Amino acid sequence: MKSPMTRVTAGAAVLALAGSIAACSSDGGEADGVTTISFLSWTGEEQMEPIIEAFEEENPEVRIEASYSPPVAEYIQTLQTRVLSGTAPDVFVVAAENKTNLIDAGAVVDLSGEPFMEGIQQFNLDTYGRDGAEYGLSLSSWAAGYAYNKEMLADVGYDSIPETWDEFLVLLQDLQDAGHTPFLESVDQMPTTVSAMLGAKTSEMDPSLDDEIFAGESTFAEQWTPILEEYNRLYTEGLVSPDVVALDGDQVRDEFANERVAIINAGPWIINAVQEANPELQWEFGQVPGLPDGMPYQAGAAAPGYAISASSDEEKQEAAKTFLTFLASEQGVEMFHEATNDVTVTENFTPEVDPVFEPLVTPIRDGQLYLPMIAWQRDEDVLNVEAVAQVQRMIQGQIGPEDVAAALDAKLSS
Amino acid sequence: MTVPVWRRTLLSVGMVALALIIGVPLYYIVINTFKTQADMVSSPLGLPETWSFANWSATLGDPGIYQSFGNTLYVTVLAVLAQLLVGAMAAYAMIIARNRTTRIIGSVLLLGFIIPPQSTLIPLYRTLVGFQLVDSLNGLVIMYLGGSIFCFFLIQGYMRTLPYEIIEAARIDGAGTNQIFWRIVLPLIKPILVTVGVFQTMWVWNDFLLPTVFLSSPQKETIVLQVYSAVAEFTTDWPSFMTITVIALIPMVVFFIFTQRHIVSGLLAGSVKG
Amino acid sequence: MPSMTRAQTPEAPATRRRRGTAGGGWKQTTINRAFLVPAVVVFLFLFVVPLAQGLYWSFTDFTGYSPEANFIGFDNYVRILNDPSMLSGLTFTLLFAVGTTVLVTALAIPLAVQLNKAFVGRNFVRSLWFFPAVPSMAILGLVWSYILSPLPSGVLNTLLADWFGIDAVSWLSDNTLARISVILVGVWAQTGWHAVLYLAYLQSIPAEYYEVARIDGASPRQQFFAITLPLLMPAMVVSSFLLLTNGLKVFDLPYTLTNGGPGFATYTITQSLVVTGVGQGEYGLSSALAVMFTVAVGVIGFTQLRVTSRIGRRFA
Repeated sequence: MKSPMTRVTAGAAVLALAGSIAACSSDGGEADGVTTISFLSWTGEEQMEPIIEAFEEENPEVRIEASYSPPVAEYIQTLQTRVLSGTAPDVFVVAAENKTNLIDAGAVVDLSGEPFMEGIQQFNLDTYGRDGAEYGLSLSSWAAGYAYNKEMLADVGYDSIPETWDEFLVLLQDLQDAGHTPFLESVDQMPTTVSAMLGAKTSEMDPSLDDEIFAGESTFAEQWTPILEEYNRLYTEGLVSPDVVALDGDQVRDEFANERVAIINAGPWIINAVQEANPELQWEFGQVPGLPDGMPYQAGAAAPGYAISASSDEEKQEAAKTFLTFLASEQGVEMFHEATNDVTVTENFTPEVDPVFEPLVTPIRDGQLYLPMIAWQRDEDVLNVEAVAQVQRMIQGQIGPEDVAAALDAKLSS
Repeated sequence: MTVPVWRRTLLSVGMVALALIIGVPLYYIVINTFKTQADMVSSPLGLPETWSFANWSATLGDPGIYQSFGNTLYVTVLAVLAQLLVGAMAAYAMIIARNRTTRIIGSVLLLGFIIPPQSTLIPLYRTLVGFQLVDSLNGLVIMYLGGSIFCFFLIQGYMRTLPYEIIEAARIDGAGTNQIFWRIVLPLIKPILVTVGVFQTMWVWNDFLLPTVFLSSPQKETIVLQVYSAVAEFTTDWPSFMTITVIALIPMVVFFIFTQRHIVSGLLAGSVKG
Repeated sequence: MPSMTRAQTPEAPATRRRRGTAGGGWKQTTINRAFLVPAVVVFLFLFVVPLAQGLYWSFTDFTGYSPEANFIGFDNYVRILNDPSMLSGLTFTLLFAVGTTVLVTALAIPLAVQLNKAFVGRNFVRSLWFFPAVPSMAILGLVWSYILSPLPSGVLNTLLADWFGIDAVSWLSDNTLARISVILVGVWAQTGWHAVLYLAYLQSIPAEYYEVARIDGASPRQQFFAITLPLLMPAMVVSSFLLLTNGLKVFDLPYTLTNGGPGFATYTITQSLVVTGVGQGEYGLSSALAVMFTVAVGVIGFTQLRVTSRIGRRFA
């Protein structure tokens, strides 16, 4: 049996611990003339901290209290909770996943006309804007296409990804005949191929594909079915194993780095890992081939934009603008690019990217990017979950392409 | 006692072998902390090509890790002790004052862990903002008090298996309700207190959901939040993720090994072994 | 005190049932009740108040971003009941909850009996069994997705090919296999801890019962079914209630291992709660879902509690 004495000692130890921690967490008072703003970062502490330090050095009158939350779900959850409780950070990011909600709720300040918004790629401004207003300072974009093993392609007489889908399928057949696994695409998200093909289609439409669907003038069945039919040929013609429904991007990347597959869907985030794991590998990125009525294109989107909270007072909003000005400056953009390797899209700085990624840089800087989830105008998350699940069922052969599109129409109207 | 040696040996070999199979995924986690990310890409679950300690030195060299270690310790110790106390007291009340009212209260309390945690998060956050307990370690401790209901349920189930005569005998000897609780009941339920305590410690120590929502200053981070700094939008630095996980895990291993023998050393236990 | 326990006989459960009347006559009722107060306070503040708030929101179009919330009656509930994808989440959630409850219970009891015996390396074995319950599901899901990868390079598939010459198995890409895999990983993660729980309860079985049984010539198997199992009934009530309610709330494991796929094969109710509430910001809708879910889990959980308690009493 424990003696009462031990109990008292244990209790005292806990209290002492409580006291000591409470003591070291108390804040010092704020110096005069310094404005402190809170910032919830989407980018990790390691990358963001040097940028914040550089900013504070140049602008001693503004102090930044940064907190970090990992993307995507955790960030959205944290931000949502704080916005709602009246403790919104002064600066946070507006992402594809929350832009509709934030704009609808009037939680973010319109930044259009601010000097720091000049020189940013229009595509990025539009992504986080609505009706002429601009809510997010998005400094970079990403694109995903195909990564291919040059040696395996050379084996069957190719030096790059063909420009049309039919030729691409012939290439896959040749690779398969030569004993290679031709192609793997992770389908835990919307397939890169589908996004790119839709992007190619909508880039030649006016009004855009999604404007028509969401205005009720067209349907997913009408717009998506032909593309899904072409995409499904990968599986119905036996070129790709239906097992891809269980793969994520990392697994596909590992297969590629270990030379067990010729072509995969991929974005710039695999570059470091692949090159470190297999420095000898000869590889490059390419665009997703075009359908007969389309052109080669890529999936991608504008990176989340820095936004200013509408509930902050004027002084904090001014300080926040100073911070955004720094982020958009040449020095800020350069530091951001070096820390994150993101392809930045400002006029004041040309990012240097790894040569393997070169084929996708121009499309990024021109804003030739498409991602359904960002282009959709409401119910993005729910539609995305539905689309991914239905595409997986199509790949497994349980339903046809037209059923996938019909399910999306049903979801949208529910 | 009368068990022959060969049977004991067989049991030993069989149990260790089975446990090793069960432990394979844990081996994978530990082994990856000694790899570079490139090494993990080329063989995710093989032995490291060259043993790299870069993850360990990077993690241990970061002063933030010690601060968050202290924060986690503070929150865990306070929260688990409080949970066990609240839970044990309620369970005790159910045993000594067993009537309709307490029975109804007892079953209503169980609703506490039926409610999915995701659905009470936002209302709770708003309440805590009102009490200025957001971004505070003490606020977090209060949030974890919700775990008392879980403790209550497990402890009262255990208390029912105890011989009630002990309590009655103590009462006849003139002991008060309070004394009986501290002197007799708590020691008797030590096996379940330790089991539940260990389990709740693991939960609080490793919880991600509550700290990520309720804490925002980096200096108040708990250790699991550090784990997630390896997560980026499209990829995750898994070796680094796993290293911090293992570092967070080590105190738990030590804790478990020290406490688990108490699970089988309650007052009633003595003669059961063998 | 130990002498008190020795005095107990196998008929003890009958005397235990009488304790209800004993408590009522006690004069210290107020003090007794006071022991319940902290738990009730915790319950009110951390569960009842937020749940009431959620109940209110479930009748509104609250988005989770703007403080505005308009009353819209039962619209949210109607939308949920008309949504076919909710049904897909329901199937697997039930399958997972029942599957893990049955399998973990069937495995944890014999395991606990073995772990209670003395053998070399017992502490080590207990620790290993317990530890799957510790690291975050994000990592365990990742490691298992490497092990169960449907590619020929997956760990399990490599082993099967090397040892038995079996072709790659679609562990996570076939609907049925994916469901089985997720359930088995769930069993893997929980069995050890529940065994430790049973282990704690084994300590409350007086050793005399076994001595008497041995003298009567009962085999270990007979002892297990005549003494251990019936006396573990209270533990089983607790353990299976935990397993079932946790199983119904499951989220992390399928989310990290299969992300609900392939198709909707391993999609769970909690996942749709998170997608609509957090992802979509339709907080009113997700509150309605949470309310319905809480009621459903409550009904299932309490029914199960009643049934197992009754079975337990008959056994004892």
